[in-house]
Amino acid sequence: MGCQSHGGVLLQKWFAIWCLCLLVGCAETESRRVVTLWHQMVPRDRVMLEKLVAEFEATHPEIDVRTLYKETEELRSGFQTAALAGIGPELVYGPSDVLGTFHAMGIVGDMSPWVSSEEAGEFVEGALTYLPDSQDPERRALVQVPDRFGNHLALVYNRNFISKPPTTTDEMIELAVANTRDSDGDGRKDRYGLVWNFVEPFFAIPFLTGYGAWVFDDSGKPIPALDTPQSVTAYQFILSLQKKYGVVPRNCDYETADSLFKSGKAAMTINGDWSWTDYLETEGIDAAVSPLPIVSETGKPMAPMVSPKGYSLNALVSPEAAEDAMQFVQFMTSTNAQRKFMELVRILPARKKLLDDPLIQTDPTLAASKEQFDRGRIMPVDIEMRAVWDAMRPPYQSLLGGNTTPAAAARTMQAKALHSIKIIQQESAGTQYLWLWQLAGLVICGGLIVSQRESLLGLLPDMRRQPLAYLLIAPALVTMFATVVFPFFYNVLLSLSNMSLRNFQEWSIVGLQNYLDVFTEARFFSVLLKTLVWTFVNVFFHVGIGVALAIALNGPIRGKSLYRVMLIIPWAVPAYITALTWRSMFHYDYGAVNLLLGKFLGIAPLNWLGEPGLAFTACIVANVWLGYPFMMVIALGGLQGIPLELYEAARIDGANRWQQFRNVTLPLLKPVLAPAVVLGGIWTFNNLNVIWLVSNGGEPADQTHILVSYVYKAVFSFYRYGYGAALSMVIFVLLLGVSLYSLHRTRATESVYT
Amino acid sequence: MTESRLITLSRHLLLLVFAAISLYPVLTVVSISLRPGDQLQSTDLAIIPPNWTLAAYRELFTEQPFLRWLANSLLVSTLVTFTGVVLASIAGYALSRFKFIGRQATMLAILTTQMFPATMLLLPLYILIAKLHLVDTFLGLLVFYVSTALPFCIWQMKGFYDTIPPSLEEAAHIDGCSQASAFWRIILPIAVPGLVITALFSFMTAWSEYIVAAQVLQDRDMFTLPLGIKSFQASMSTQWALYAAASLLVSVPVVVVFLALSRYLVSGMTLGAVKE
Repeated sequence: MGCQSHGGVLLQKWFAIWCLCLLVGCAETESRRVVTLWHQMVPRDRVMLEKLVAEFEATHPEIDVRTLYKETEELRSGFQTAALAGIGPELVYGPSDVLGTFHAMGIVGDMSPWVSSEEAGEFVEGALTYLPDSQDPERRALVQVPDRFGNHLALVYNRNFISKPPTTTDEMIELAVANTRDSDGDGRKDRYGLVWNFVEPFFAIPFLTGYGAWVFDDSGKPIPALDTPQSVTAYQFILSLQKKYGVVPRNCDYETADSLFKSGKAAMTINGDWSWTDYLETEGIDAAVSPLPIVSETGKPMAPMVSPKGYSLNALVSPEAAEDAMQFVQFMTSTNAQRKFMELVRILPARKKLLDDPLIQTDPTLAASKEQFDRGRIMPVDIEMRAVWDAMRPPYQSLLGGNTTPAAAARTMQAKALHSIKIIQQESAGTQYLWLWQLAGLVICGGLIVSQRESLLGLLPDMRRQPLAYLLIAPALVTMFATVVFPFFYNVLLSLSNMSLRNFQEWSIVGLQNYLDVFTEARFFSVLLKTLVWTFVNVFFHVGIGVALAIALNGPIRGKSLYRVMLIIPWAVPAYITALTWRSMFHYDYGAVNLLLGKFLGIAPLNWLGEPGLAFTACIVANVWLGYPFMMVIALGGLQGIPLELYEAARIDGANRWQQFRNVTLPLLKPVLAPAVVLGGIWTFNNLNVIWLVSNGGEPADQTHILVSYVYKAVFSFYRYGYGAALSMVIFVLLLGVSLYSLHRTRATESVYT
Repeated sequence: MTESRLITLSRHLLLLVFAAISLYPVLTVVSISLRPGDQLQSTDLAIIPPNWTLAAYRELFTEQPFLRWLANSLLVSTLVTFTGVVLASIAGYALSRFKFIGRQATMLAILTTQMFPATMLLLPLYILIAKLHLVDTFLGLLVFYVSTALPFCIWQMKGFYDTIPPSLEEAAHIDGCSQASAFWRIILPIAVPGLVITALFSFMTAWSEYIVAAQVLQDRDMFTLPLGIKSFQASMSTQWALYAAASLLVSVPVVVVFLALSRYLVSGMTLGAVKE
């Protein structure tokens, strides 16, 4: 019995330490009024932000400003979620393109009471973003006060290669061709003429405007105009740069373009004002900024989109908190603060007075930036813009991959955009038969209780008979269900609701419409099939490689612990970086995979990231790599439990090694491996990250999605919360069915000794 | 004799090939962390870039609250590991050794908690965290991480107990030991490899998670490591060198924990001593 009391003391000690640590996390008190700001400023800007916050707090000692950096997408989705839960930050800082969405959701407030019309006149035209009130279209709400205006693309060139920047596209092509060269003659170019984020439609906008096209028509309303003769010509021109002139490399995404230019392997690049200071400071190159050229065919300048960045007020905060927050906004958007940012990061201000500042004339980067800015067009903030980006991306990428023609791509874009807008704008009323749904819920619950009545009735006597069993399992169950039950039922409700952009805060039950949408969506079954392939192949290789390695490691072998450490490395290093390195390893020109395949197997380079099938394979390879160490560890643990005598006995019976593996190792490994396999399957099925990182969010052309990334897109691109919840429920039921079946088949819940 | 040498040779070959496959992508990460000017991609295959620099590592320790994040992460992960191991080892035992009502249903229910896509759980989870005032507390994280790690851990522990013959406890009973002390004295020591896996898994669950952490923690001083690393990322202006350097440093404690525990994983008390 001594052992028991010893264990008891030890448990008490753990418990005490545990409680103590929790207290550390909870102790903090408030005295000053807090203004929280979520921003997405780049590191360089953050330094200035902190300085200005300190300055502000010195003059406003009663206010405590807390800043929190969030990456663009995280800020967007995080703010929506937080606002819904009622505890969002007072202020958000970011580009203007999300304002339409925030406004439609009713989560950003009107700031015009704090900005007099006189002060509004001091801002550059178009810098302050007003949106019509949904109830009263006559009234306009001021939803953002900017501290800068730009965010535009321009041409950056390396003066080591180019002495005078091109003024027309003909000159640009000439310079690019002259600078695209393979000096050592190994078949791989060691300098490209022009690089940019080739696969992203935002970077195609200057080409569209140069040929006289625009994303919306001239009506002044956000009606997409993606299928015009002008845009088709623009796409032909973009395509010719790679296909005809060969001045743009393959797989040229943002990071590739950036690396090529920074390492002096590209003569020109197209990039935004956020990147220029970085290029100017990069050693080994001599970068300079110039406006984009004039299109020789049309005589029109390539005009990028311009947009302000600034502060928006959370609509759901108290008037007092709004007052404090606005004091901070006024401080941060003042001439003084904007001037400081302009000096530090060479970004154009949003106040007229500062545009006359001598710095803009004397600093070549700011001068070029201003020239480019004056040619720019303001990016629409309408929610339709998001649908347009989303509609443009897949056909644009297919076009660049050579799988469609410019005319067909433009047609698909337009059709997709109109369709997506319809989905986003969808407004639906709640059902009148709510009571029917409530009744159905009650009937289901009642039915469950009745069908399980014998077990339920037997529960209490059984608890009295063997209380230990229930006591042992209770703490784990309580912890798990505390975090799962509410979210699960919330989602069941959501899946029956009309929650979407238009019904964001006030959603209601509409019935099975979302489920109907899931099964009638043309792509559902093909994506499901892809998900099944993804899951099966991954788990197969995880287990196969894991078990093989564990068996190789089991028993005496030289260098065992070294091997062991090396083999768990893929598990130890966070996937959010290694998935990205896999992406670069699959690069057409510079990736290790193509290089090795060429060197040892003589295989011609494969366009891993550009072909849908290959891109999906690349995702699988990366995920297999990430997953086998885990299975190896499990299998190693499982092998320890196999008594050596069993092998001896098998040997005496004349079993060869394979028979020993089949008849001794596998059956005894099964109970340990089964949970890992079943859960591994579930995790793989629902693994969003790897696909997302390796294929850069479904590239090319949204062809690499599995069901979860599909859900993610539906929810975060189209705000179809109800639909996303329904799709999640379908995934849940699918997994439940498959798990039930496989558990039944493998009897994994049963002990080998019973 | 030759057969066994052949086998040893092929074992080495397999291990070597996979060690190389395991290491190469990580060497690329090393390369990114040494590269000046924040470049994710490289146009050559050299692991040590031509003008390499340790600036990112220096900045992590001098200008970034890296040690603070490390301490937070260690605290959270240790607590999750302890709680996870304790809860899973007893729950798994109950599932393995007792035939109580709803046992099968419980095992399945535990599994079902993993089946719902996490993306959709974030919104209600956040509402829950907000309503319970768990924003900016480690308790919120702890409860969530433990409940994420438990399903696997419980199943895993049950699987390990299942491989231990019940005759062992019966023998202990005859010797006058209660069920609880038989569990503590006899079963747990044999199930050490399972405990190690459970501990490793719980640790990793807490150590590398950032999506939920981003919802719960909003005070930069309370950030865990993955959140801190994520703050180096920005759309189109990520600080790749810092990002890579920090990611590599993050994996060091994992390797240390693994090394410390793997002693038990590969030479734990085996059943060889059991006489049936």
